[in-house]
Amino acid sequence: MKLVIGYLYSKLMNTYGDRGNIITIAQRCAWRSIDVDVKEIGLKEPIRSDIDLYFFGGGQDQSQIICSKDLISTKKAALVEAAQSNITMLLICGGYQLFGHYYRPKSGEDIEGAGILDAFTIAGEARMIGNIVIELNKQLINNNPTTLVGFENHSGKTFLGKKTESLGRVIRGSGNNGEDRTEGAYYKNVFGCYLHGPLLPKNPLFADFLIEKALSRKNKYFSLKELDNSLELETHNFVKNNL
Amino acid sequence: MNLKTTVALNLGKFIIFLIKAFGGGATSAPGLLAEIIDPQILTKLSTNLEAGAILITGTNGKTTTSRILSSILQTANLQIVHNRSGSNLTRGLITQLIKAATSSGKIKEDLALFEVDEATLPKVVAAIHPRVIVINNLFRDQLDRYGEVDIIRKKWLDALRFLGPETTLILNSDDPLVASLAKNTKTNILFFGLRDKKNILKKAPHAVDALLCPECSSELKFDYFYISHMGKFFCPNCKFSQPRAQISANFIKLFGPDSTNTRIFVEENGFEINLKLGGLYNIYNTLAAVSAAVCLGLSLPQIKEGLNKFEVAFGRLEKIKIEDKYITSALVKNPVGFNETLRLLFSDKKEKNLLIIINDLIADGRDVSWLWDVDFETLKDFENTITVSGTRYLDMKLRLKYSQITNVASYQNLEEAFQEAVGKTKKEETLYVLPTYTAMLKLREILAKKGLAKRFWED
Repeated sequence: MKLVIGYLYSKLMNTYGDRGNIITIAQRCAWRSIDVDVKEIGLKEPIRSDIDLYFFGGGQDQSQIICSKDLISTKKAALVEAAQSNITMLLICGGYQLFGHYYRPKSGEDIEGAGILDAFTIAGEARMIGNIVIELNKQLINNNPTTLVGFENHSGKTFLGKKTESLGRVIRGSGNNGEDRTEGAYYKNVFGCYLHGPLLPKNPLFADFLIEKALSRKNKYFSLKELDNSLELETHNFVKNNL
Repeated sequence: MNLKTTVALNLGKFIIFLIKAFGGGATSAPGLLAEIIDPQILTKLSTNLEAGAILITGTNGKTTTSRILSSILQTANLQIVHNRSGSNLTRGLITQLIKAATSSGKIKEDLALFEVDEATLPKVVAAIHPRVIVINNLFRDQLDRYGEVDIIRKKWLDALRFLGPETTLILNSDDPLVASLAKNTKTNILFFGLRDKKNILKKAPHAVDALLCPECSSELKFDYFYISHMGKFFCPNCKFSQPRAQISANFIKLFGPDSTNTRIFVEENGFEINLKLGGLYNIYNTLAAVSAAVCLGLSLPQIKEGLNKFEVAFGRLEKIKIEDKYITSALVKNPVGFNETLRLLFSDKKEKNLLIIINDLIADGRDVSWLWDVDFETLKDFENTITVSGTRYLDMKLRLKYSQITNVASYQNLEEAFQEAVGKTKKEETLYVLPTYTAMLKLREILAKKGLAKRFWED
């Protein structure tokens, strides 16, 4: 068994430690003797057909503008098709914003997004910074813990349309826009959210959920071996209960 | 001086007297109060500095650079006001000036040497109109406090735009985000940089912040890297490239954590020097200090003598003896600094005793995501137990688990962690402590109680 990860704009969108998500997926696969191959997909490089799971992290404003142009010109069509055929994708912060319809800055033109998630983002006044805890959308997972923990740091306010569900409900923190208590979004197997931290190390069951989704396209009867998650969950609970 | 300034100054002096009487350090509170009473006090006191002020900023190396420069200036018998304790917001600068001033505001020292917080630089530049500004580097650092590097760079650009040729701007030629600042200012410019072709990285490390040209946003090309995004770069689109450095270092021999041999060049004139500092990043700090000294008109023999007399600061690889063992600590606060510290400590490929302390208080940055941009994977073949502590010790332990390092001892309590880590260190060996900022202050307190370190304001 082999998992092929497509790491979108790995060099430009890597500011907030989000690479930890790749490390976590790769390591949790390695512990189960699943091979992992990480393909970095940069500017001007086309979307490949052999990817099981895409990852797209957060970056600086200028990088985000450059990536947006490239996303539309060289990758959008193939990514839309991949999403429609149930390929798994994880998008964090800037990557999440760029998968919506558009990002509207304080001044200047809208930055076009891939439009895979029915959502849009508007530049806000105050930055939303701090530890965040969310209750995962019940339709998604029935595992314990049902919470996700992370650290958010964004000024964009994201609002969801009708064709996308939120990833969860904010217990502590600001979430998508600081107004409607939603956080993140998903459509088919495309999951976006504002949680740095990074997301997956402290939310190991969500990491496995993504790995399983990605690999079950290759083998329907496939299931993941259990791992010892005690340190992961202890850290999860520390953030949940103390910060 | 008007009445407001006189009141602010003398009340500041009185607070300093009180804090000291109760055994404290007085490095920032008196300045904070004086600034509230007279918001212009920084400008008013600094106009009394005959030879002006030198400001040192950048993400990493502010304290070490200013201490190296202080050593050079003192060796040359210059009297300076210096915020040695590292209190680098305006309140820290004002406190230092209040300490130096007489009750009527006169200052006998000719020159001020201030390390300045990156985000505070614009405010200080506007207030002081400095003679020299040194900018060392710009890396991602505590994103929840400072924001992204582009935001800091924009603040710097706005601050520098209004200065003229009476100010000299000393810039790192190897950092594209810093070198490009020269294009947007009318100041006098001096560049420093490495010109060594042996101690290079062919591939970009993970935590790289400047792959886009700061001038035209095209992708930058690098022939090689020294540290993170610092190296020999050029932009294929607008042709911006690494400028020629007037002050440079070459023929660098790194001998581990506390010893380096190199040749330093001022234009074509060079001298060889043994530094009591390890790591390429300390060569940058040394060059930055040398550049400022050159700018002030000091001679090469004076500079060399000052470098020879330099002693490292606490938390910046100072070595302390504790019974029959040694303790050295190196502050870690962002991915590039942490990566470079690991590169330095393990350059000899030998086992080390490590204690890592990660706090998430406001001064450390509340977000610990950056630990995942540090390449701990390089440590996985070492066998010694790594001890971890701090408010976020679990996050640190988890980061190590995902680097396949499981030989980890963890303690929430710092004092206990320290005792255990010292206990595990063998005779004549060194325990390397890598703390975040508030953890470093705490560690220092623990050592001070044992009579092994000065408190931070006494140093």
